[in-house]
Amino acid sequence: MKEVIYTCPYVPAEWIAAHGLAPSRIIPAASPSVGCAEPTEGVCPYVHSFINEVFNDTQSSGVVVTTLCDQMRRAFEIIASRCDTPAFLMNVPNTWQHAGAHNLYLDELKRLGRFLIRIGGKPPSNDLLTKTMIKYDSERRNAFADSPPQTNGIPLAILGGPLLKDDIQIFDLVERSGGCIVLDATETGEFGMCARFNYKKTKADPLTELAGAYLGGIAHPSQRPNSPFYNWLGSRLVERKVRGIIFRRYVWCDIWHAELYRLKQWTQLPILDIDVTAEAHVPPVRTETRIGAFLEMLR
Amino acid sequence: MNYEPKQITLQEWDRRYEQLQQEQLCEGDYGGPLGRHVGDGDHRLLELKYDNSPAALKLWNFLLTEEQRLFKAQAEGKKIVGTMKDLGTVPVMVYSLENTVAFYPDGAWWIPCVMQHSAGLLKIADSLGIDESFCPVRAMLGAFVTGKHFPVPDQLICSVGATCDDFSAIAQRLEGLGHEVLWWEMPHRRRCEVDEAGVKLPGGFEAPKSQVEFVKSELERIKTVLEQLSSQALDDETLSAGIKKANVVRRCLAELRQITFTAEVCPLPALEMLIAEMLAIHYCSDQDETIVVLNELIDEVKARVEARKGILAADAARIFWVNPVADLQVMNLLEECGGRICGTEYLFSHAIDLIPEDIPPLEALARMAIADPMAGSSVDRAQRICSDIEKFGCEAVLISRIPGASHCALEGQIIGEIVRGELKLPVIEIEVPPVSDSIRPALRTRLQALVETVKQRRDK
Repeated sequence: MKEVIYTCPYVPAEWIAAHGLAPSRIIPAASPSVGCAEPTEGVCPYVHSFINEVFNDTQSSGVVVTTLCDQMRRAFEIIASRCDTPAFLMNVPNTWQHAGAHNLYLDELKRLGRFLIRIGGKPPSNDLLTKTMIKYDSERRNAFADSPPQTNGIPLAILGGPLLKDDIQIFDLVERSGGCIVLDATETGEFGMCARFNYKKTKADPLTELAGAYLGGIAHPSQRPNSPFYNWLGSRLVERKVRGIIFRRYVWCDIWHAELYRLKQWTQLPILDIDVTAEAHVPPVRTETRIGAFLEMLR
Repeated sequence: MNYEPKQITLQEWDRRYEQLQQEQLCEGDYGGPLGRHVGDGDHRLLELKYDNSPAALKLWNFLLTEEQRLFKAQAEGKKIVGTMKDLGTVPVMVYSLENTVAFYPDGAWWIPCVMQHSAGLLKIADSLGIDESFCPVRAMLGAFVTGKHFPVPDQLICSVGATCDDFSAIAQRLEGLGHEVLWWEMPHRRRCEVDEAGVKLPGGFEAPKSQVEFVKSELERIKTVLEQLSSQALDDETLSAGIKKANVVRRCLAELRQITFTAEVCPLPALEMLIAEMLAIHYCSDQDETIVVLNELIDEVKARVEARKGILAADAARIFWVNPVADLQVMNLLEECGGRICGTEYLFSHAIDLIPEDIPPLEALARMAIADPMAGSSVDRAQRICSDIEKFGCEAVLISRIPGASHCALEGQIIGEIVRGELKLPVIEIEVPPVSDSIRPALRTRLQALVETVKQRRDK
């Protein structure tokens, strides 16, 4: 099956799958040794890694990028101009509080559908889309069960942009230091999951339900205003009995960086700020020591 | 002409001012010696060089008295609209109404330069978690906190979407400080798909009709809010009249740019041209006076061109400048190094292009808004730059990176590649902080190298 790669949480995997293509949400490796994108001052390390991951990919039939952040929008231009893989840029609105924004997103899904057909996909029937949505919804429910993981470790949340492959070590690192991540509120984790589908509405009009669950369900901090982000986070921090937050951000990512100060004002929970630079993707000793100290303080 | 055009210091200007006064200098109510603004804390003025014409004096005084105009307007009961990021769209709507004034809080990004950090605005932004990894527009936060540089607006309107992340994040912080914002969406301008209806935009680009309609619907929301704020109807007739007047300003600027950029000898310095172009965005809070100021500049450059006089050597390297510069003094520096500006793209070309007058006014504004270079791709922007380079006969391109600005990290690469590829012109990229004194030697060397390259290419 032809593969379509993407990274943004606002790209619905169900929509790609319903077109008979294999959605593949890539988690880039940090700074691949072979890459075409020049490392430039001011470029977010994740964006740089994503561009190189796409350049090095030889399997996929298409790549979908979104306008969620300014640098990704520019990354699309570099990919489209230097890479043979067909690329699609999807407009994701920042506003959400009026019907126009939802219609814009819905229209973009339709446009994405036309792109998927151009690269070899088939237009899905409503029935097929419905079945695909229900399947994915069910898998998500299993993956992100309602009850928090049973653990003796100090419950922490990790919050921030998408993770790189090497970042998985942070979870181990936390456990080794006596903690446990009970809320993965990174874009790669639970935070990047759409809302659950209403099956009745899905059967009646699957694409509209899909659009609503993604645009209305993922409360990204880039939304304006971004109060839904704090609503989403607030309820989960309480529900999971979180005692501390690891705030992981990329240097040059303005969207997440700008929330750090507000988050500190908004919550009583202690926050550990870990900034990731282009030079240090792999959690270095410094990060390990800081996480250790953070957990020691929480004991 | 009864004097030699040249660039002079602030002290020289104040002496010249006394002389001009004796010659019955005609000034607006905002007139006076330029040196008085240093007393307001604008210390950078002491470091700049200025054109010595009365028209330039008027331009500077007009710019440097905007703060007083805004506070006066508020005291007179006018409604103040702080419009953010769209750079040229919403003010056309605001100035169509009576007793409403629009300004850009974004303009605070030049305060750290003009006041040489003495206002402490960046420190305030730091204290609010918006540090130097963000664009200098973060000074806007400090200006809102101190309340000294502009009045707190009655309404804040901010475009988001295909804008820049720095600004969007800073505006969100502003809302967190208790300033309610009306957010409106600017979609990323894309190319039309096969068989998709398109609309020609001011400036020459095309956008899908559906996108223009979407922007129009967003402007409808703004229109409703402005009508409520001003208790006036912003009907088609009123808005059309507003567009016609905005186009008067734009025609003036087009003429000024055409004469200045194509003149054999540069008739007006880069710094004054930068400020003149900025007037198109929001008219420095007085649209009528903007037209007066621009017309005097046009008369001045016409007289200089006719007299074959200018302020720089005739062989100055003809440079196209991309992005506004955070430290105004660098415009002087380019000229000191032997360059002259013969084309610009300061991120608001949509505020300079004429707004269509033969279609319904809100649609015309929507077309103009989506023509924003920030809303489109860097490839589009590069094409526009290439087209203007050919129009004005530029010999090199200088891309001025804005420190911390999210869009600058990648777009410079894209624009540079296209310009080099299509026009085979030299391109350099520099990054300029709000006060660039510490990196002046390095900047000077790079600018000199660019000028030398241009001159060597002429000999080949």
